Amino acid sequence: MELEKFSYDNKIVKNFAIATLIWGVVGMLVGLIIATQLFYPALNLNIPWLTFGRIRPLHTNAVIFAFVGNAIFMGIYYSLQRLCKARMFSDLLSNIHFWGWQLIIVAAAITLPLGITTSKEYAELEWPIDIAITLVWVAFGINMIGTIIKRRESHMYVAIWFYIATWVTVAVLHIVNSIELPVSFLKSYPIYAGVQDALVQWWYGHNAVAFFLTTPYLGMMYYYLPKAANRPVYSYRLSILHFWSLIFLYIWAGPHHLLYSALPDWVQSLGTVFSIMLIAPSWGGMINGLLTLRGAWDKVRTNPILKFMVVAVTAYGMATFEGPMLSLKNVNAIAHFTDWIIAHVHVGALGWNGFLTFGILYWLFPRIYNTALYSKKLANMHFWLGTLGIVFYALSMWWSGITQSLMWKEFSPLGTLQYPNFLETVLQIIPMYIIRATGGLLYFTGICLGVYNIVKTAKQGKFSANENTEAPALIKSSLHSEKESKHRWLEKKPIQFALLSLVVISIGGIVEFIPTFLIKSNIPTIASVRPYTPLELEGRDLYIREACNSCHSQLVRPFRSETERYGEYSKAGEYVYEHPFLWGSKRTGPDLWREGKKYPNSWHYYHMENPSSMSPKSIMPSYPWLIENKLDYSDLESKIITLRKLGVPYSADYENLAKDELEKQAKQIAIDLQRNGIAADGTEEIIALIAYLQRLGTDIKLNELTEKK
Amino acid sequence: MLFKTKFLSLSRTLLMMFLFSFISNMATQTQGGELTKSYYDIVAVALIAVVLLIMFGFLYFGLGEEIKREKKFALGFQKVKGYIVGLKPIEKENDIMFDHAYDDIRELDNKIPPWFNYLFYGSIIFSIFYMINYHILSSGDVQATEYKEELQFAEMQRIELVKSGALLDENTLTALKDAAAIKSGKEIFLKNCTVCHTESGAGLVGPNLTDDYWIHGGGIKDIYRVIKEGVPNKGMISWNQQLNPRQIQEVSSFILTLRGTNPSNPKAPEGVLYVQQDSLKGM
Repeated sequence: MELEKFSYDNKIVKNFAIATLIWGVVGMLVGLIIATQLFYPALNLNIPWLTFGRIRPLHTNAVIFAFVGNAIFMGIYYSLQRLCKARMFSDLLSNIHFWGWQLIIVAAAITLPLGITTSKEYAELEWPIDIAITLVWVAFGINMIGTIIKRRESHMYVAIWFYIATWVTVAVLHIVNSIELPVSFLKSYPIYAGVQDALVQWWYGHNAVAFFLTTPYLGMMYYYLPKAANRPVYSYRLSILHFWSLIFLYIWAGPHHLLYSALPDWVQSLGTVFSIMLIAPSWGGMINGLLTLRGAWDKVRTNPILKFMVVAVTAYGMATFEGPMLSLKNVNAIAHFTDWIIAHVHVGALGWNGFLTFGILYWLFPRIYNTALYSKKLANMHFWLGTLGIVFYALSMWWSGITQSLMWKEFSPLGTLQYPNFLETVLQIIPMYIIRATGGLLYFTGICLGVYNIVKTAKQGKFSANENTEAPALIKSSLHSEKESKHRWLEKKPIQFALLSLVVISIGGIVEFIPTFLIKSNIPTIASVRPYTPLELEGRDLYIREACNSCHSQLVRPFRSETERYGEYSKAGEYVYEHPFLWGSKRTGPDLWREGKKYPNSWHYYHMENPSSMSPKSIMPSYPWLIENKLDYSDLESKIITLRKLGVPYSADYENLAKDELEKQAKQIAIDLQRNGIAADGTEEIIALIAYLQRLGTDIKLNELTEKK
Repeated sequence: MLFKTKFLSLSRTLLMMFLFSFISNMATQTQGGELTKSYYDIVAVALIAVVLLIMFGFLYFGLGEEIKREKKFALGFQKVKGYIVGLKPIEKENDIMFDHAYDDIRELDNKIPPWFNYLFYGSIIFSIFYMINYHILSSGDVQATEYKEELQFAEMQRIELVKSGALLDENTLTALKDAAAIKSGKEIFLKNCTVCHTESGAGLVGPNLTDDYWIHGGGIKDIYRVIKEGVPNKGMISWNQQLNPRQIQEVSSFILTLRGTNPSNPKAPEGVLYVQQDSLKGM
């Protein structure tokens, strides 16, 4: 058999690795800043683009798509070449992928603080960037599938199955969730509204966790863990079982983010049961990882790389058990909208993604630089700082979530809310916010040590950009040999494998979407619900720009403790013109769905100018720029036309009247403010925001009144 | 080595701080009210977490090369363990090693652990029953029903309270005169009302409470009603959910004591001149 000479491309791996480290530091630093703002709101320095609402999405995007994203590509580009015994399909595509991805990250880092956002969680980027993501993802896909096709290995190893499923599913998720109609170059409205938008968004959001934070990392675990431990993978059968069951079941679980919402009950229940069924498939990955370490546990005591990996896999196991428990309705009733969820995601992000990334980085750098790790001691220190950081983070957020939730729900013996003032429940957990930030600081210190250690390692070694190697050419035998199982056959067919994964991951979404979109009884309409006025619409876009939905929900759940506090619970039919939906996922502040007409205009004016003037000790930042800025409504016509195309019943030619209507309504609010001694002339941004807030959730109140008469 | 001790002591201090703040937090938590239903949910979750930890313990310590230690146990235990864990002894793993290797990674053909299968089948059976229970038999409550029941329960409790006299009869309401009630009313006022009415009651967003002019009447019953129901058009919110009847009575009584205090920077009078009669002539 003749050996073919070729080389592995290490340069692209190195590029992605460096990007991982840089964005990791940036993303975690932003996280630390917003964690601190929660107990020290003045840290935004009254600068719009440093304010919590705007940089919280920057943190999530930087950590998910920049840190973890680059780590995935680093992990895949290194392992895929070796598992296929082939260089990447095209160096040009590799470079387009790398630089394209970095440009997208930079675009995100610029647009998000400027308030250019779609408001949909983990899909905040506006439509031109969405298109760029699609193109780069296609480049990555061609490069990966191309490499697999020209491989010198007869079968695809389990890691590659996970890589393929990742690529296919992320493509589907991104495209379906990002279908939006542009208003202008940097503004768009999603085609879905209200309940449907929520369903699509959380189908996406949940599976971004599944197919961006989980499946590629499981693939990487299957390569780097056996490599680092020098042990065989525990069970091939378990790999098959948990791979297919995981990708099939995961896609259904999105609605567990919308329990007790206006989503139809049957979809919610599907979200619950599919989450419960996910425990075993998720644990399949964990036990296959941990049992691979059989016979190597003595090494775990001394080898920091294995330590990182063991904690990562354990964190994965804990988070994937906690997740299904949080999907049970009675647990979710306590945990949803609280810090418990923040604890849950950070066990996954800091433990599973972070620690596996660090383990891989420490393993990989010495190899591509032909040297040993600069300091094992520093790596151990990084491990302990990180672990302690995770413990602080998770325990404090668990505690604060449960505390606050119980306070929200508690009734006095006389039947009124024990803590009617929302702020009281916030002030109670401020100490937990301080502990959380301390945990974050420990973790951040850890990654800084890691960067230093890796830079030193690189400096003492010699980088080999192209690693020469040789392997026999693949003898093509397309005949299905008798002895092979069907799955072994499939492992030789990347295209068929990708298509089968596509079918498997599509079923859940299709079953949940089609009835919710087509069957009327799922979203009962309410006659009194009307589209927003032009001024309210502009106000709503300001609400989106400032990302108020980072901290305020707009969804009253059907609990007595919530209807007493906020008002009537949310009905599906109230949200039919909401492009996008703004239900939110966390209540750092109170729910706003029934905010309309609760306070006078002047209250809102003073409150936005300086929240603690109306709610002493409030942790909400001030928004003085809403008072200074003049409302820009130059896109109003285009907004009305776009929304009409999406089915919002604005009458024909309404776009021509809209500006007059807007100015008229603004004038009314300005007059009311002037009467209360506020110098406003109706051109300020805040006027629009007040108009929007005063409208929130009031359509159905009107309805009740007319019914009574 | 020196570093290691320093590091350990640092982490111990941090951990102590952490535990301390938890305990102090817990202390403030348990002061008010009885244990709610959700409390038991949390106990249930904690129990599940304990089971989970035991399972993890099983994984970490019950497996692997430490099998020798277990010779002490009776053979029966080994058998049971076989049914649950189903591991092949590590010495025999070459029998189940596949021929293939990917970049030197080998794979074993171990059986799927039986406990894993039990867990998987169990969760599937649970799910089938769950869907049948809620959506075919409708024996489980969907959210709207659950909410209705919660409200019915609260209404029953309220009726009990009225019967026992714990809730006020608004038709025979009087102003409280004793110092303790006025003091408590003042506390409620300072906590909730000063943002709009200022500390002295001179008015800001809300009207002046110290003069003789009242928009909605200045008697105890009038004030009680305005606080309880609010005047949403003018921005006065309803305090019905936030203050109990006794508290509203106390703060109304306190507001009556503000009359004629002539604070600095008073808001101009609004409403009509109100002649205090009922409240002063001691109804």
